[in-house]
Amino acid sequence: MSSTEVVFLAFFSSGFTVGFGHCVGMCGPIAVSLSLGLRQGKVLIPHLLYHAGRITTYALLGAVVGLTGSFTGVTSRIVGIQKGVMIFAGVLIILMGLAMVGWIPLGRIFTDSFRPTGFFSKAFRKLNAAPSRGAYYPAGLVLGLLPCGPVYTALVAAARAGMESGEPLQGMFSGLWLMIAFGLGTVPALLLVGRIASLGWLTKREVIYRLSSMLMIALGVYFIVKAVLF
Amino acid sequence: MLTGLVLCLVVMGIAVCSLSGDARAQGAQSAIDCAIQSGPCTKSLADGTLTLDITPRPVRAMHDLTFTVTFSGVKPAHDPFIDLGMPGMIMGPNRVVLKRAGDNTYQGTGVIVRCPSGRRTWKATVSVPDKGSAEFVFDVVY
Repeated sequence: MSSTEVVFLAFFSSGFTVGFGHCVGMCGPIAVSLSLGLRQGKVLIPHLLYHAGRITTYALLGAVVGLTGSFTGVTSRIVGIQKGVMIFAGVLIILMGLAMVGWIPLGRIFTDSFRPTGFFSKAFRKLNAAPSRGAYYPAGLVLGLLPCGPVYTALVAAARAGMESGEPLQGMFSGLWLMIAFGLGTVPALLLVGRIASLGWLTKREVIYRLSSMLMIALGVYFIVKAVLF
Repeated sequence: MLTGLVLCLVVMGIAVCSLSGDARAQGAQSAIDCAIQSGPCTKSLADGTLTLDITPRPVRAMHDLTFTVTFSGVKPAHDPFIDLGMPGMIMGPNRVVLKRAGDNTYQGTGVIVRCPSGRRTWKATVSVPDKGSAEFVFDVVY
């Protein structure tokens, strides 16, 4: 195995480890929210698209830090964007939580009988409908910008690898591929969370929905508060 | 059982966030053994001591930092290194490679990343091949 392969494997392993040790707690609720918005058995493709979007963002960030060889130079410029994304994620989770209990006119999106009427209802339904699964990819692109300690750590290493490569273009590709390897490593844990949350046996339980929706609303508020303080 | 599981997943997010916030930070407060914002910290290692300094001060997260390790009574056979981590939270491997910068002094650059949970306590583990390691727990500024 070449040294390059070893480095890629190290980034993948790092992603895999933090996936189960960190992301399940911090990003798991987002995966759960996505799953609860989907019908049983229709989870895998939307989730894969979401993760593809997230990894694309990581890759682009990796390419930039690899090209510049500077982690702080890049992250200091995107702090404002990250705050906005955190607030967006909080609002999204709150909306999903409110919709689950029917407290906002998005309707009961989790029942087959739901037929949206309003603009927002239709838009939300579109996000969850099978023909528009592609909406999960841009959602992943945006949420990939959420501030996250392990992603920062991986970017620090990608920047270092870029700096050590000596050539800017080589550094850019190095950063890009390393962050793809890291992102791929985080997928299994979050896919598992999403799969468990989508079990049909669970999605048919009214009490579970109500409790989950309350917790999602609380979590959404927490995201917004943290974004303001970030 | 599955009901509990799915609820746990949602609760876990809130729990991890909350636990990793103020309450847990207070718990970690007692483990802090290095006032790095005030100056270098010294620990015993093998038959001597090692001193860690991080500059510039105040030591801020998400900024380029210089890590300096000075040995007394210890002669490293190989270059030492520093692993940065957060007590009780997996943040991914973050290693600072140190190079010799003078007699008994090694230096390297690195970044302490920011955790969105708001926790500020970090741990730097200075490892010296064949000699052992020393841990420094300190607070950073956001």
